[in-house]
Amino acid sequence: MFHSHDDDDTQRTRFSRRAALIGIGQVLGFGAVATKLYQLQVMQGSLYAPMADDNRINVQLIAPVRGRILDRFGTLLAGNDEGFRVVLIPSLAGNVRQVLERLARIVPITPDDLDKLAARARRQQPNVPLIVSNELDFEQISSIGLLAPQLPGVQIETAASRRYAAGEAAAHVVGHVGNVERAALDDDPLLRLPGFRVGRTGVERGLDERLRGRGGSIKYEVDARGRIVRTLSQTPPVKGDDIALTIDTELQRVIGERLSREKRASAVVIDTQAGDVVAMVSVPTHDPGDIVKGATAKTWAKLKASGNEPMLNRAIRGQYPPGSTFKMVTALAALEAGVIDLKGRVDCSGQTELGGQTFRCWKRSGHGPCDFHRALRESCDCYFYEIARRTGIDAIAAMGRRLGFGQTFDTGLALQKPGVMPDAAWKRGRYNKAWLGGETLLAGIGQGYVLATPLQLAVMTARIASGRAILPRFVRPDVGETPAVADELGLKPALLEAVRRGMAAVVNEDGGTGGSAKLDDGKALVAGKTGTAQVSRASADRNGQDLRWEQRDHALFVAYVPAGKPRYAISVVVEHGGGGGATAGPVVRDIVAEVLARDPAGRPSYPDLAGAPPAATGGRRS
Amino acid sequence: MSYRDGTVVGTRSMGSRLLGVHWPVVALLCLLAGIGLVAQYSVAGGAFTPWADKHALRFVLTIGMVLAVAMTPLRWWINLALPGYALALLLLALVPMIGSEALGARRWLAIAGMTFQPAELMKVALVLMLARYYQWLGADRVSRPQWVAVPLVLIAMPVALTLKQPDLGTAVLFAVCGLSLMFLAGVNLMYFAAGAMAVVTMAPLIWGRMHDYQRRRVEIFFDPEKDPLGAGYHITQSKIALGSGGLSGKGFMQGTQSQLNFLPEKHTDFIFTTFAEEWGFSGAVGLIGLYLMLAMLMLAMAVGCRNQFGRLVIAGAGIVMFVYAFINIAMVMGLVPVVGVPLPLVSFGGTSMTTIMFAMAIAMCAYVNRTQGLRPRI
Repeated sequence: MFHSHDDDDTQRTRFSRRAALIGIGQVLGFGAVATKLYQLQVMQGSLYAPMADDNRINVQLIAPVRGRILDRFGTLLAGNDEGFRVVLIPSLAGNVRQVLERLARIVPITPDDLDKLAARARRQQPNVPLIVSNELDFEQISSIGLLAPQLPGVQIETAASRRYAAGEAAAHVVGHVGNVERAALDDDPLLRLPGFRVGRTGVERGLDERLRGRGGSIKYEVDARGRIVRTLSQTPPVKGDDIALTIDTELQRVIGERLSREKRASAVVIDTQAGDVVAMVSVPTHDPGDIVKGATAKTWAKLKASGNEPMLNRAIRGQYPPGSTFKMVTALAALEAGVIDLKGRVDCSGQTELGGQTFRCWKRSGHGPCDFHRALRESCDCYFYEIARRTGIDAIAAMGRRLGFGQTFDTGLALQKPGVMPDAAWKRGRYNKAWLGGETLLAGIGQGYVLATPLQLAVMTARIASGRAILPRFVRPDVGETPAVADELGLKPALLEAVRRGMAAVVNEDGGTGGSAKLDDGKALVAGKTGTAQVSRASADRNGQDLRWEQRDHALFVAYVPAGKPRYAISVVVEHGGGGGATAGPVVRDIVAEVLARDPAGRPSYPDLAGAPPAATGGRRS
Repeated sequence: MSYRDGTVVGTRSMGSRLLGVHWPVVALLCLLAGIGLVAQYSVAGGAFTPWADKHALRFVLTIGMVLAVAMTPLRWWINLALPGYALALLLLALVPMIGSEALGARRWLAIAGMTFQPAELMKVALVLMLARYYQWLGADRVSRPQWVAVPLVLIAMPVALTLKQPDLGTAVLFAVCGLSLMFLAGVNLMYFAAGAMAVVTMAPLIWGRMHDYQRRRVEIFFDPEKDPLGAGYHITQSKIALGSGGLSGKGFMQGTQSQLNFLPEKHTDFIFTTFAEEWGFSGAVGLIGLYLMLAMLMLAMAVGCRNQFGRLVIAGAGIVMFVYAFINIAMVMGLVPVVGVPLPLVSFGGTSMTTIMFAMAIAMCAYVNRTQGLRPRI
C-alpha cells in the first residue's frame, strides 16, 4: 500500500519550527538593509545632499560689459561694439561634427579649425558654449536662422568686442585686451569663460579689475544629459567702471605725428601741479584694433617685421642712460651736501683724471673755469665729475630717488620698468663688487649704471619745476574733487631756484646747449636740459661722426614751461638720435608750442563720470 | 500519477472559499501596488503615462487572477507541477538556441509574437515541483541521501541554465528559494552544514586558481564602486539619491536624481531609490516594513496549512517575494552586486508582476484549501 501522505504532526511541527527560523532570517535580512538605509539617508544624508545639487545645478556665467576708457575731455578711447558671434552648445548638438560641417557652409571654418572645435567639444563640459566664429555679418546671421532646424545647438549671441576709437594715437597708454593667460588665472570665475578678454597692456591691464565689472550668473537645473530643465535663479552682471584718463587725445595725435619723423622715440608731458600725464607717446606705434580683432599670425609678423617693436611703450619700458639730463640731480645732491656752493668754480681742461683713468668732457678743448650756472648751461662734464666725486654716489642716488628715479609709479599703467638708480649697496647686491670711484663720476653725468625711463625724466623735471614730489597719474579724478597737493621735496628754495635758472639758461642764454628748444614766437620761455647718452664706445671715440645708426647716441631733452611759472614738464627721448640739443630740442620746441596752444590742464574736463552732468544736478536743485 | 482531492472536496461553496482568502495579504498586495503606482506616477514627471496607468491595469488584472485561482481546486496545481516543471525546463534549455538577445544576455523567447522569459515560468514551476515532491515523499524519507539528491538536481538544473544566460539574480533566486524549501521540508540540518562547509573550503581554492583578470571581474562585481563608469555609476547615483533624500525625503515628485534622469532604470530596478529619495528614510523604512509584514504573514499562512504541499507552496511564494525585495533593496544601496532584480509590485514591468502574482495566486489557492488532507490516487 502507498504511504499515507495525509498530514502528520511531526512534519508539521518541524515545518513550523523551521518557518520560524526562516522568519528570523527574513527579519534580520530586512533589518540589515534598513540599518544600511539609516546610515545612508540619516547619518550621511548631509554628505550626499550637495552631491545631488552638484548633479543638477549648472551655473552659467554672464560676462559683464567692460567699462569704457575716455580721455580727459570725455573723448572715447576704448568702447565696446555690439557684435554677433555664433556658438555651439555640444550637449544640444548631438553630432557635433556633423553640425559643424553644416555650419561651415555658412560661416568660414577651415577643416583644421573644425577638428580643433570637435576635439574641444569632447573635452569640455557639454553645456559650455564653444565659440565657432566671432564675426558674423547679417547675411550669415539670417542664413543660420533659416537653417536653424538643421543646426541643433547652434546659437547666435551678442558679444561685445573692444573698439579702440583713438587707434594709434593712444595705443600705448590705453593698451589692449586679449585672451586670459593661464598664469593670470585668479579666483574670478569670469576668467574661465570662453572668449573672455582681459587687459593685456596699458591701462586696460593696470586697471583691469575696475574695468572688468562683476560677472552675473544664471543657475540652471539640468538633467543627466546636461539639458536645461529650468532656470533657478539669475544674478545680473555689473558693468565695469568707466574710467577717464588724464591724457588729451588730440595732443597725443599731434605729438605722435611729430615723433614719427624719428625712427624710435617717446615723449611724456606732465602737468607740474597735479601730476596729470596729459600726453605719453611712443613711436613706432600700432593700432590696438588690429590686435583685438583676433591677431592673426600675419598681423604679428607685420608688427615684428619692422624690428622697431611697435608694441613697446618706450615711455615706460624704455630704459636709457639719462646722460646730462641727470646733471640736475648731481647738482642738487652736491649743493645740498655743501661740497660746493653756487659760486664755487671748477676748472675744465677738457678732461679729468681719477685713479689713472681719464674722464673726458664732451668739449675736448675744455670750458675753462666754470661756476654752477655756466656748468649747467653748457653742460660741462668736468664740473659734474668733480662735484660728483666730492658728493659720493650714495648721496647722489638718494637725490635721484627723491626726484623719481629707480622706481615705478602706482598709476594704473601696467608694466612700467623701474630703471636703475645705482649706489654702493646696489652694486654689491647686483654684482657682489665694491663701488669704484670712477663709477661715481660716470653716474654724475648720467652714464654708467644709471638708467631712466622717459616717464621718470618727466617726473624729475616736474619735481624740480614745482619743488614738490609730484606723482604722475593717468586716471583723472572726478570733477570737483579737491586736487591733492603733492608734498614739498624739502629742498632749499635757493638751490632749486639756482637749478631752474640754470635750466632756463640752457635754452635761452648764449652758450646754452638747448637753444634749439626755444619757441620761435617767444610766447613763453622754455627751461630745460639736453642729454646725449652715449650707447657705444665708438661714439665717444669718433665724436658722433660716421656712425651706424644703432651706434649713435640717444638724444634726450627734458623741459618745463613756462620757465617763470611752470605748468608742464616734458621729456623727449630719441633713440640713436645723436645730440640732445640738435635732435631732441626741436621736438621739445614743437611739443611745447602745441601744449601751450591746447593747455589741456587749464581747460575744464568733462564729463563727470561719477554722476549726471553738473548742469542737470543744478537744475534739479533749483 | 495524479492527486484527487481529500475528504472535504467539493462540499464548500464559493462564498466560503472567498471567506477563506487571506484578505489582509490581499490588502498588503494592493498597498504595495499602490505605492508602485505613486512612484510610477512621480517618476514620469507627474503623469499616468507611460508607466503608472499600465502598472495599475496590470495589477488589477493580476489581483483578479489571484482571486480566480484561489477559487480553483488545489489538485489542478498539484497535477500541473511535474508537467509545468518539465515544460519550464525545456523552454529554459531552448533559450540559448532560439532565444533573442537583449543587453548582452539571452533570456527571451518569442512565442506567437509575444516575448516571454522561461525563467519567470520556472520560478513558479520550481516551487510547485518541490512542494509536489515533498508532498509525495512523506516525512520518513526526507533526509535519505538519494531523496536529498533528487531536489538538489531539480534545483541545480534551472540554476545552471540561468547562469549560462547569464542571469545571476534569477539563479540566486532559484537556489535560495529551492534550498529554503528543502530546509522547510525538514531535510536534516547536517546536509546544510556540510554544504556550507564545502562552499567555505572550495571558495579560496577556486579563487587561487583564477587568473588576475577573472579576479578583477569578481572584485568589481562585489564592489561595483571600483568601476565608477560602469555599474559603479548606477550605484553612486543611487546612493546620492538615497542620501540626499534624508530622513523625510524631498517630497512627492521632487526627487531631483530621478526626475532629472541621473538615476538609471529609475522606474524599474531602481524604483526603490526613486521612492526613498522622495519619501526619505521614513517612507523607505515603511516600505521595507510592508514587505516584512507580507513575508511574516505568508509564513503564518504556511504554518496554518494542513498539508505539506500547501505549506511549501505558500512558503515558496513568500520566499520568492522576500528574495526579490531583499536583493533589489540591497542592490540599490550597493550592498549586493547589481543583478537586475525588480522590486515586487512596485517596479514597472509586466513579467515580474505576472510571475509574483501567479505565485501568490497558487499560494492563495493552497491557503483557501488549507484544511484539506491530500491522498495520492494510484
